[in-house]
Amino acid sequence: MNTGIAQIVNDGAGRMLARASDNRSLGREAMVPRVTAAVEKYLLKDNPGTPHAEIAKFIDEMQADDLCLIIACERGDERAWNDLVERFTATVRSAARSASKNEDAAEDLAQSIWAELYGLRTRKDGMPASKLAYYSGRGSLAGWLRAVVAQLAVDVFRKQSRLVQTEEDTDLERLARVAEGQPIVAGIPSPEESLSNRFTQTDMQQALNQSVQELSAEDRLLVKLYYFDDLRLREAGAVLGVHEATASRRLARIQTDLRKRVTKILVDERGWTQAETERSFAEVAQHLDTDLESLLATKGTKSV
Amino acid sequence: MKQETNNEMDLLLRRLGRRDDAAVPEEHLDADELNAYAENAVPAAARARYTLHLAECSRCRSLVAQLSSSAGVVAATDSRAVPEPSGFRKFLASLFTPMVLRYAAPALGLILVAAIGFVVLRRNQPDRFVAQNTETASQQKPVASPAALTDSYADSVTAPSPERLDEERKQKNEPAQPAPPPNMPPSVTSVDAEVSKDKAVAQPKPEEQPASAANEPAPVKTAPAATPEQSPRAAETEAAKNEVRVQSADASQKEKKLRDEEREDRKKDSDNFARARKPADSVSAPATGAARGIQSGGTDLSANTRTVAGRRFRKQGSIWVDTAYDSSKDAVTLSRGSEQYRALVADEPPIKTIADQLEGEIIVVWKGHTYRIR
Repeated sequence: MNTGIAQIVNDGAGRMLARASDNRSLGREAMVPRVTAAVEKYLLKDNPGTPHAEIAKFIDEMQADDLCLIIACERGDERAWNDLVERFTATVRSAARSASKNEDAAEDLAQSIWAELYGLRTRKDGMPASKLAYYSGRGSLAGWLRAVVAQLAVDVFRKQSRLVQTEEDTDLERLARVAEGQPIVAGIPSPEESLSNRFTQTDMQQALNQSVQELSAEDRLLVKLYYFDDLRLREAGAVLGVHEATASRRLARIQTDLRKRVTKILVDERGWTQAETERSFAEVAQHLDTDLESLLATKGTKSV
Repeated sequence: MKQETNNEMDLLLRRLGRRDDAAVPEEHLDADELNAYAENAVPAAARARYTLHLAECSRCRSLVAQLSSSAGVVAATDSRAVPEPSGFRKFLASLFTPMVLRYAAPALGLILVAAIGFVVLRRNQPDRFVAQNTETASQQKPVASPAALTDSYADSVTAPSPERLDEERKQKNEPAQPAPPPNMPPSVTSVDAEVSKDKAVAQPKPEEQPASAANEPAPVKTAPAATPEQSPRAAETEAAKNEVRVQSADASQKEKKLRDEEREDRKKDSDNFARARKPADSVSAPATGAARGIQSGGTDLSANTRTVAGRRFRKQGSIWVDTAYDSSKDAVTLSRGSEQYRALVADEPPIKTIADQLEGEIIVVWKGHTYRIR
């Protein structure tokens, strides 16, 4: 980091201490390393030549109070720890509850979080290996704690899911086999028809997959959030930072765009005619509809 | 057509989503990055990088989705950390809330009206007091004979004689006391009590009074006519008088004679006055309640009102009351001859003039203070 940026960071750290309602008696020397890390992580990594004014603005938008609290906790300030626990116990418990199946699991998860934050393990330099070191001050402390809880919950869930395979997984595998050419008993197509459909579906599937990969990262993220993660438009829009209506319009545009791309791939690369492509879209969609209905029917029978 | 094509794509994409088995990247966003992304607090370049990762990583995507949905809650929690306005500003703001304006403002108006009404009523209290006196006088009117009127007139213009004082005490069943405590709390009720005592004195028929006075052992008087200073002192020196009464019976006989003569003179005077007053009674009464009261009582207005040292006094019972007297104000009670009284008259000589010229009890308002001189 050059001297100019170091000076900006130093000044920015001073301003942060000044605007914090409780700076926990910290000095610039305590703040500068954390601010520097945040600047490098979110600005200089992507653009080493970030203008100084942008760096100063970035620092001024950081959460001064939250960062002071976390640094004071790291330094063993008892009052800061009490404040942290008092202010965020409810947040941690709520996040743990929403990430857990039952109250006991949520309580275990919340306790694990506090242990992780306190740093029961020690680093090479003898200091406790606390997760607090990873808080940059860019986002809110409450949101960061929720993220920590959610990550820990995912890790715990993955460990458990290695041992237990749910019925839903079996269903998904069944659907996957359908897509790969192992039809389940849904309708009774003739062998010729079945073979034809299989090829058509495979071509269509591959073309669609390729088209999705060619979308911009943001469009692809929207498709994944909506179709793969089954989020509602409002939720998907929230991830992208846009309104539900914007997400809806963007999704409609993506669908049109994908259709054009798929058609182009099928015509240009697979030798299909335009008419065949149009007819195949309708047939495959109809066929998929039937598949989904049968899948739902099978699920319903199982659950009874 | 467009909607239909979109429906077909929709179904295709749903199917693609169900069989998405893309490998999850090894590297994931850390909690700070996930949170910053969910809170839209990441600079554009970094955001594009994270978006690219999220498009491929279902794990991070689900976490971001989860955090984004709770970001609203977090934002709401953070808003509490914003410094609240000062207590005074909050108070001012609370004064103008719709609820306050809807209910408290009319209530405040009512309170104001009530307060104004209360003040007005309090101001009228002295008049009411006088009216009370008037009522008593008017009650007496049907039974009052001209003699009684004359007698009451005589009582009002002269200080009560020692016999009268004794008679009063008898009627009140009070032991003879040297003087009321100088610091007796003055109040409206005390004045009312005085008035009621006065009423009690006024009620016996005039014919009975001389008789009862005659039955009394005749007290010795050092002076035939009561001077303004004598009436309060008479009470103070009651014990001494009793002694003198026993010792000098002859003197008392003479005194009785003198008193009888004096009463005769007074009676004549008052008869003359009543005769002279009669036509004046038909004249319309002054507007003030006090004057009305006095007139309805059949007593003389000029006789009951005197002006001394620039102050106007009205006789109410046996008390000369300053017309500026406000019964709601506390009065300082003083006895003539007391240390306090001497100190007061030394500072304010006109009060001495008033006290000398008006016999009996006086309520005088002087320089904003009210003094009750006995």
